[in-house]
Amino acid sequence: MNCEACDLKELELEHFQIREVLRCILHTIVFHRALGLVRPKDIDLELFEITYVQCGDAEVERKINEKIDQFISWVEKHPNKKSQICLSFFEVKNKQASWFTNKIERRYWEYWYINLNVAQHPKAHSSKSHHSKAVVDPGESASEDRSLRRAALEASLREVLFQIIKFVNEKKDHIPSIPVAEGVSFPYEITIPSSSDSAFGMEMFKRMLQSGHPTMLS
Amino acid sequence: MDLQSHPQPELGRLEQIVSQFLLKSLHIVLDSRIPSIRRARDRSGNVSGISQVRKSDKWFSLLLGDRPAALDNLHFWHRNLMDPMIIDIILVREGSNSSSSMDNVYSTAAVGTSVETVIERWVVQYESLRLMAPPTGESSATYKKIYKKSIILLRSLYSTMRLLPGYRVFRQLSSLTQSYDFDIIYKVSSFTEPFSRAEEEVMKHYSFLPVEALSGRLCISVTYHQTLSDFNLEPLTAFPPTIITDYVGSPAADPLKAFPSSEKGIRATSFPLRGRGVRSPSSAPFQRPHSWTSGGHRAAPFTPNQPLSGSPPAFRTPYMPYDLPTQPLDIYGHGVQNYRPPAHQKATSFDEYQLSPPFSPSQSPSPPTYFSSSNPMYSRFSSETAPVTIPLPLVGRGSRYLSPNSSDPSRHSLPPPSPRSTRHDPSSQESPSGIRSFRKTEGLRIGEYSGTTNNYSGQKVLKDSKDDSGRFSGLLSSSGSPRIGFSRSSSRLSFQDDLDDCDFSGPFDVDDVDTLDSHASQNLDGKRASEFPSLAFPMTGKSPDAAVGVLVNMLRRAPPLRQDPSCYSSHSLKTEPEGEAGATSEFFMARKTADALEELRSYKEMKDLLLSKSGTHVVTREEA
Repeated sequence: MNCEACDLKELELEHFQIREVLRCILHTIVFHRALGLVRPKDIDLELFEITYVQCGDAEVERKINEKIDQFISWVEKHPNKKSQICLSFFEVKNKQASWFTNKIERRYWEYWYINLNVAQHPKAHSSKSHHSKAVVDPGESASEDRSLRRAALEASLREVLFQIIKFVNEKKDHIPSIPVAEGVSFPYEITIPSSSDSAFGMEMFKRMLQSGHPTMLS
Repeated sequence: MDLQSHPQPELGRLEQIVSQFLLKSLHIVLDSRIPSIRRARDRSGNVSGISQVRKSDKWFSLLLGDRPAALDNLHFWHRNLMDPMIIDIILVREGSNSSSSMDNVYSTAAVGTSVETVIERWVVQYESLRLMAPPTGESSATYKKIYKKSIILLRSLYSTMRLLPGYRVFRQLSSLTQSYDFDIIYKVSSFTEPFSRAEEEVMKHYSFLPVEALSGRLCISVTYHQTLSDFNLEPLTAFPPTIITDYVGSPAADPLKAFPSSEKGIRATSFPLRGRGVRSPSSAPFQRPHSWTSGGHRAAPFTPNQPLSGSPPAFRTPYMPYDLPTQPLDIYGHGVQNYRPPAHQKATSFDEYQLSPPFSPSQSPSPPTYFSSSNPMYSRFSSETAPVTIPLPLVGRGSRYLSPNSSDPSRHSLPPPSPRSTRHDPSSQESPSGIRSFRKTEGLRIGEYSGTTNNYSGQKVLKDSKDDSGRFSGLLSSSGSPRIGFSRSSSRLSFQDDLDDCDFSGPFDVDDVDTLDSHASQNLDGKRASEFPSLAFPMTGKSPDAAVGVLVNMLRRAPPLRQDPSCYSSHSLKTEPEGEAGATSEFFMARKTADALEELRSYKEMKDLLLSKSGTHVVTREEA
């Protein structure tokens, strides 16, 4: 059983778009990995003309929202930075308790890397342009710029969703057998960058060691 | 190789997986493209917990709700599991006289005035790869793996359905607040003519990675229109979201009044009768044993192209939303009444609807059921789209009759007309109540009201009241705070109640109205006095303002009076040298400035509200 990783296309977005974009991507991935009995739920994004599918599990929704909240607070402390969120699926292996370790071992079999570039752009002076014609030019160009970026983000988000669907279809052999019959069948974990970059890198490093990532075996 | 003939139990399991896979994928596709099927599912209300699910729905761990009965009988028409299942999603539009080249190139057929275009073609197939007998020794683990991979494939199919352009069209049609002159139907077959080159140029192809399954593989692929913007799929009654600054719509127009068919954007769509008892399989020979369609308006829609003989059974899904727009839209209130089922159709319940086997000609696929079971839909249609059904009591309508008229000499002392009202606007007097009703309704209906502006058949008295426009607005200001009336009384247009709460309801909502009343009555001609009861104004005696309004109305009607320039100059502030009216004129004078300012403020608020509402609409359209 090998481990597969999918590096999603980087998205450039603004702060207020983080929640919707992340919910869309995370739920879409989980929906394709929740192989237990689910009743799909269609969710329309408010900021974009995209409909994604949730698996309908309340616990999943809660967990995802919680992680997004944590990520947003991280972004607020580290503005204008590229960040990565990792959604990983693992299976639990009860390792025989030994002298040193009696903890349960996790074998990660899939990683999803969501790459975001959160940038703060100067706000459009839309309110001013409403009242004063003199300020119309800078206001208009800024708002045009924003709508262009919004359209580009929508197209990119759609691409990311298709990327997920493609990956999900192409790589199926590494998926372990379904342990849970209902809802989210595989345990998963969402990792957001921690307060310090080095710690985040350390975490990923540790996890790769644990899971026996192919690159680490050599 | 026919799987059914093989006795081995493993193949029975495979066959079960394959047939359920076909059914499930068909259900996913239709549930995401055909509004009637989605509505049927929603109506069945199977949104309870997972525990109360039918066994058949649990296949592939994807609960979709009740499946239409027709889909359960896959084997009737798809007898050979090796055959591909081709699902065509067809856009049916009303053909235009000036048919565009697009229509000619891409439409597969045109019957009457409707144009059909295949916007998506899904092909689901179990491709058999090996001609020899399948290898033995397949364990249940193999089937589990196949099943697991099929689950993932169907999940990705479900997601993809929502990312393709056709989903937007489906959502448009599923919207209950709009009506369209196009519809989506489907056709399922095991054989179909390939697309023409022109069609293929605008279509994109996508194939999901097949799932290996023993001696074959499960494949799903789609060919779809990359963009549907060329088809101009706009709602029927959508008026451009413009702000009508001088909106004077009459919310008290007769709700059942026929909506003129010449109104902008509204046109009766005349789809050909689709299987409304006109045809049944008994009358048309069965031509294609492996196909069925949802739009059975033709006996053999693809006969010219098919080498097979016989026509497909004219099956229809029970709820045909595209039938709704076929109602002449000029009769909103009567839409339901006119659409009574023809006598020869019988209404059967949705559950009884079955895919009738092609080899039992005596059985006719009774046309839908929607007459009996979809009446809520119709009523919904009529109630949701009837733009003039505004819950204004007749009493409220009477307020328009009460609008001030210039015959009252006291009006000469009124402030200049508000910028909103114009001389030539016959129904500017309704502006307060019009605005009030406008507040209640969506911005989209502005146009509808403006469309009825000129059709106040019930408002004859107001037609030629140009001179009064100024007076009315002036009187509004004199009434104190009309806009308070707007916001507060928007839902209660009862004149009696309004008079107590707000000042808007009547321009004569002043204490001195009694004097006006007496004056007006003195000016009444005997004839007009007799007309008074004919107005059926129920407020007589309850509100002096109302009485004055009626009076004013009658006076206006009288041609001789109207020609008197001294009395009916709309923009003059002449004061009548009448002692009796002197007091009232002074009264109005005293109130004019402050009230004019208040009135101006109220109009500004109204304008902002309209702007914000229309602003929302504009943004929505941009994003669409």
